[in-house]
Amino acid sequence: MNKLDIFKNGVTTENPILVQQVGICATLAITTSLINGIGMGVAVTTVLTGSNIVISALRKFIPDEVRIPAFIIVIAAFTTMIDLLMHAYTFELYKALGVFIPLIVVNCIILARAEAFASKNNIFDSIIDGLGMGAGYLLAMVLLSSTREILGNGTILGFRVLPEAYEPMMMAVQPPGAFILLGLLIGIVNYLSNKKKA
Amino acid sequence: MELVSLFITSFIVNNIIFMQFLGACPFLGVSKKIDTAAGMGIAVIFVITLASVITFIVHHAVLVNLGLEYLQTIVFILIIASLVQFVEMFLKKSAPGLYQALGIFLPLITTNCAVLGVAINNIVYEYEFIPSLVYSIGTSAGFLLAIVLFAGVRDKVDNADLPESLKGSAISLITAGLMSVAFLGFSGLQL
Amino acid sequence: MKNNFVKLAAVLFIIGAVASGILAWLNDVTSERIALNEAMASMDPAILEAVMPGSVMFNDYEDTDLVETIKGENEKVINLLTAVDASGNELGKVIRTFSTVRGFSGDMELYVGFTPEGQISGVSVISHQETEGLGSRTAEPAFTGQFTGKSGEVRITEDEIDAITGATMSVNSFVSAVNNAIDVYSEYVK
Repeated sequence: MNKLDIFKNGVTTENPILVQQVGICATLAITTSLINGIGMGVAVTTVLTGSNIVISALRKFIPDEVRIPAFIIVIAAFTTMIDLLMHAYTFELYKALGVFIPLIVVNCIILARAEAFASKNNIFDSIIDGLGMGAGYLLAMVLLSSTREILGNGTILGFRVLPEAYEPMMMAVQPPGAFILLGLLIGIVNYLSNKKKA
Repeated sequence: MELVSLFITSFIVNNIIFMQFLGACPFLGVSKKIDTAAGMGIAVIFVITLASVITFIVHHAVLVNLGLEYLQTIVFILIIASLVQFVEMFLKKSAPGLYQALGIFLPLITTNCAVLGVAINNIVYEYEFIPSLVYSIGTSAGFLLAIVLFAGVRDKVDNADLPESLKGSAISLITAGLMSVAFLGFSGLQL
Repeated sequence: MKNNFVKLAAVLFIIGAVASGILAWLNDVTSERIALNEAMASMDPAILEAVMPGSVMFNDYEDTDLVETIKGENEKVINLLTAVDASGNELGKVIRTFSTVRGFSGDMELYVGFTPEGQISGVSVISHQETEGLGSRTAEPAFTGQFTGKSGEVRITEDEIDAITGATMSVNSFVSAVNNAIDVYSEYVK
C-alpha cells in the first residue's frame, strides 16, 4: 500500500470516530471546548503512534498466544506516560480531561490498530498508520468540540466569535448536545460519502 | 442514608451512559434487542462490582504501600482483563446455563471503559470500601437501565422511515441525546 | 508444552518489567512538578501575591530540625516556608504565625514574607475572628500594605502604623503577630 494511502485511510475512509465509531466515550465527554478536543486528540495520537511503533518492532518477539496481554501492557505504559507528562506540564488540561486520560488505554481504536496493522506491518508503515488514525481522530474531535464551544459558549479557544447578544445554547455543552451533535456530524459525513458514491 | 443517596446518584442522576458517557461503545453497538441488552447489562454489573472490589484492595493494600500509584493504569487493566478471562472459564465449567446467556458478552467487557472508569473513580473520589461498593453497583445498574431502555426505543427507530444518511449510528446517537435530555431532568436531585 | 508456557510467561514478564522500569523513571522525573502543581492548585493566588509578589506556592522548609527547634521555643509559630516562583526559584522566606497578643476576640493568624535582603515583602491574614467592619479592616490591603518594605530585623512599634479607629486591640494583635515573625526571622532565619 502507498504510504499516502495509509495516512489518508485513517483520516477519511476509516476515520475512527466518524466512520468506524469506535472509542467514542471520550469524544462525547470532553468535547465541551476546542482546547479539550485538541488536547485529547494529541494525547490519543501520541499513545496510538507510540504503541504502534513498539508493537511493530516487537512483532516477531511476541508469541501469538500472549499478544493481546502484551499489547495491553504496551498501550497502558504509553497511556501512563502521557498521564504523568500532562499532570506535570499541562496541568489545567489534565484537570479538564480527568479520568479520560487513563481511559485512553481502553480506547478500542488503539488495540484495534495494534492487532490489525502494527502487528503485521513494518515500523515505518505503522508510524504512518498511527499518525493517520490519530489525525482522523483529532479531526473529529476538532469538528465536534469547536461546534459545541461556539454554540454553547459563543467562543472559540476562549475568544468571543459570536456577538454578546447571542444567548448561549447551554444544551450544546451539556450531555444531550454531545450525543445529538455527534449524531448529526456522522449524518453529514454519511450524506457526503453517499453523494460521492452516487 | 448517605449510601442510599450515593446509590440513587450513581444509578440515575449521574447515569454512567447519559451523563458520563462511560461505556458508550457497547451501548451503541450491542443494544438492538431487549433481552440481549439485559444480558449484557447483567454481565457488566457482575464484572464491574467484582473488578471494583479487587482493584480497590490491590490499590490500597499493594500500590499505596509500595509507592507504586503510577502503575495504577497498567495494574488495573491487567486485573480486569484476567478477571474477565477467569469469570469466563469459571462460568463455562460450573454454570453452563449462565455461560450460555452471558458468555458472548464477556470478551467485549475488557475494553468497556465503564469497568476501568468505575475502578479509577473509586480511587479518585477517595471512597472507602462500602461506599465504593455501593457506587460500583449503582453505576453498573445505571448501565443496565440505560442499555435496556435504549434497546426498547431503538427497536422502534429501526422501523422508522429515515433519510438514508441518518440510518444506523447517526440516529442512535440522536436518540440517545434525546433520552439524555430526560436524564438531565434528574440533575440537582437531592435526597 | 511446558517449555512453551515458560517462554510465554517470560516474554510477558520482560515487557512488563521494561514498561515498569520506564514508568518508574518517568514518575521520578515528573513527581516533583506534579506535587508542585497539586499544591499550587490548593493555594489562594491572592494570598500568594500579597505575601510574596510573583510566587506561585510556599514549600516546606528543607531544614526540618530547625523548624522543630523554632516551634519548640516559640509556640505561636506554625511553620516556616519558602516562597517559589513558577520555575521553582526561591523568592524568599515566609513565616506562618499566630499573634502573641490577643485581639478583640482571639488570636489572628498571618503569613509574613521576607525578601532575601531582609525586608518584609508582604503580610496577609489567614484567619481572624475580629469584629466585622472594625477589626476586620486589618485584613484589608490598605492596612496590610503598610508593612511592606519595612525591615525584617527590627520590631515594629504601634506608632509606625496608622491606627484603625475603634480597632486598637485588633491592630495590636496584628502587629504582635508580625513582630513574632520578625523575632523568628532575625534570630534563626536571616
